[in-house]
Amino acid sequence: MEQKLRQEAKALLEQNKVDWIIGFEPGSLKFAATPLITKDKNDTERLIINPFIFNNLADFLTSLEGRVGIVAKGCDSRSIISLIQDNKLAREDLVIIAVPCPGLIDLAKIEQLVGKDRDELDDITREGDKVIVKIEGKKKEFSTIQTLFDHCLACELPTPQEYDILLGEVRPPALELEVSGRNINKLKETSPAERWKFWESELSRCIRCYACRNVCPACFCQRCFVEETEPQWVMPMPRWQDNLIFQIVRNIHVAGRCTDCGECERACPVNIPLRSLTREMYNMVDELFQFKSGMDKEALPLMAHYEQEEAEDLFR
Amino acid sequence: MVNKKVSKKDIAKLLEQWGQQFIVFAPSRESGVAAFAEWDGKDTGFLDWYRNTVVPPKASFLPPMEEMFHFQKGEEGYSIEPSAGEENKRLLFGVRPCDARAMAIVDMTFKDAYEDPYYLSKRKNALLVGMGCTNPCESCFCTSMGVSPAESADVDLMFTDIGDEFLIEEVTDRGKELIAKTKGLKEMNKGDEAKAKQSKKTAYDRVTRKLDTEGIKDRLLASFDDQEYWEKVAAKCISCGICTLLCPTCYCFDINDELVKQEGTRFRSWDSCGFPLYSKMPMENPRQEKWRRVRQKVCHKYEFYPMTFNVIACTGCGRCIRLCPVNWDITRVIESVPNKTGVKK
Repeated sequence: MEQKLRQEAKALLEQNKVDWIIGFEPGSLKFAATPLITKDKNDTERLIINPFIFNNLADFLTSLEGRVGIVAKGCDSRSIISLIQDNKLAREDLVIIAVPCPGLIDLAKIEQLVGKDRDELDDITREGDKVIVKIEGKKKEFSTIQTLFDHCLACELPTPQEYDILLGEVRPPALELEVSGRNINKLKETSPAERWKFWESELSRCIRCYACRNVCPACFCQRCFVEETEPQWVMPMPRWQDNLIFQIVRNIHVAGRCTDCGECERACPVNIPLRSLTREMYNMVDELFQFKSGMDKEALPLMAHYEQEEAEDLFR
Repeated sequence: MVNKKVSKKDIAKLLEQWGQQFIVFAPSRESGVAAFAEWDGKDTGFLDWYRNTVVPPKASFLPPMEEMFHFQKGEEGYSIEPSAGEENKRLLFGVRPCDARAMAIVDMTFKDAYEDPYYLSKRKNALLVGMGCTNPCESCFCTSMGVSPAESADVDLMFTDIGDEFLIEEVTDRGKELIAKTKGLKEMNKGDEAKAKQSKKTAYDRVTRKLDTEGIKDRLLASFDDQEYWEKVAAKCISCGICTLLCPTCYCFDINDELVKQEGTRFRSWDSCGFPLYSKMPMENPRQEKWRRVRQKVCHKYEFYPMTFNVIACTGCGRCIRLCPVNWDITRVIESVPNKTGVKK
């Protein structure tokens, strides 16, 4: 698949069909890939696909000028569609190279399972439904349910629906909803007072680095409300109440755009379980409006669309 | 000078003893992330899991946010009431040599032409107890930055792991004084020093990431206007604040007033040159484009700080590499800086 990807990407640049290629190249850590954003056809030799291609590459699209060839997993493709719906991108400026994604390996889960840090492991490989971890010469075998990211376990679209080039076979959706929603469901069983306490504790360690916002393709505002100074909606210092306002507003702003790619939670350096907010919002959007973001490029954006039956008494 | 040692199983007793004189801080994951936290009086589990904290110990002296003072508007103008000063003496137990060096580097700024009372009041009273690494991370490159993972001149006491025990090195007079008053320590044996030496060497050899900083200040100076280079370097950066806020040598802060009617509080909190708002001025933003902000971050550490204080403001702790959501790697960037100086690298 990598060979084909490299050929296709190189050809796109050579034939002047795109100005940019966005994909992944080997990272500088053992189990890492890093985004490759290039105009140079020689760089395409470094393109890779592996279980550690974590980033949602759609995040880079709105900052590039010209036509872009982009390597897209299912979740990236949904973010791309969502950006097209919002008129942030034009479909004709994109060449989508679809990568059927079998799910990404959550290194934090592996660390929990084996009781070692990621850099202490010799190797992590995926073999069908198994994930093999090699530690000090010994092999340990785990299931994908144990080792994939929560959001991957509920992935509705492993292969992009909208693409120009497809690498490999279309994959079926992942249906491990129960495991995927475990943390959220546990939270929902607690009382509002307990939940309030939970979020107070979690958000107390937020340092306001904004990685959650900046890795998110749905957060495309030129200027985020947290950076407004007149009026100042929220204080810029990391007081938990201000952190809470930031997260609540961010969630509401990405409602109908969030594709549950899980990047916010993965990027957080202080382990705040942000997907418990975003996925719950995703579910609510689905329940209330029967809307799944990034599935249909012809559909109007959720918040730009109104049906008579949605009306509440207040607005009727 | 080394002459004492302590068993790992007696660390709790030792910290308890020191706790009578200091507020003891130790590595903890209690908050949900590895950071220095007030020691709970019993847990020494960190001795097993601790490699380094995510939040660097600078947070003990330059906290993510702090109150500076309260103010009130009266009939005769504003009155100011300082926030409660930091009277308590802190002891940070288990500081890694890279982070201890970083504290010394941050001190240079806060003790420069202007002495920062908020930082120094906490820092001056604090005692740093270093602990040598035995298991550096793959992102660590301290040995390239003049830091040895198990040796430090920037702490008051230095602990070296020799198996079931730590050797204790008295680095400063304050450290020496504390040891003189500490009960229950054991005398060092003949073989211990050799064990410590071996332990230090093993740790040193385990740091495999290397960075050649020869001539970096001049190389950066010569490449300052190479927009094409910086755009390439910055392409995948998402402009979040992880690498700066969690860097042990980054010290930038923002100041904000919170007003309620006639009174308010002035706060300061961590800020990052990676944020567009950081350099925004009324008329313009000289670093509106991302590549200018990335350049600032790199140059501040490897060019401007050496120009001002004759030291690179990076100790190779590797946090920025380990924690970056896109695996932007400072060592790869520094290595890729064009050599336009005419001087052989």
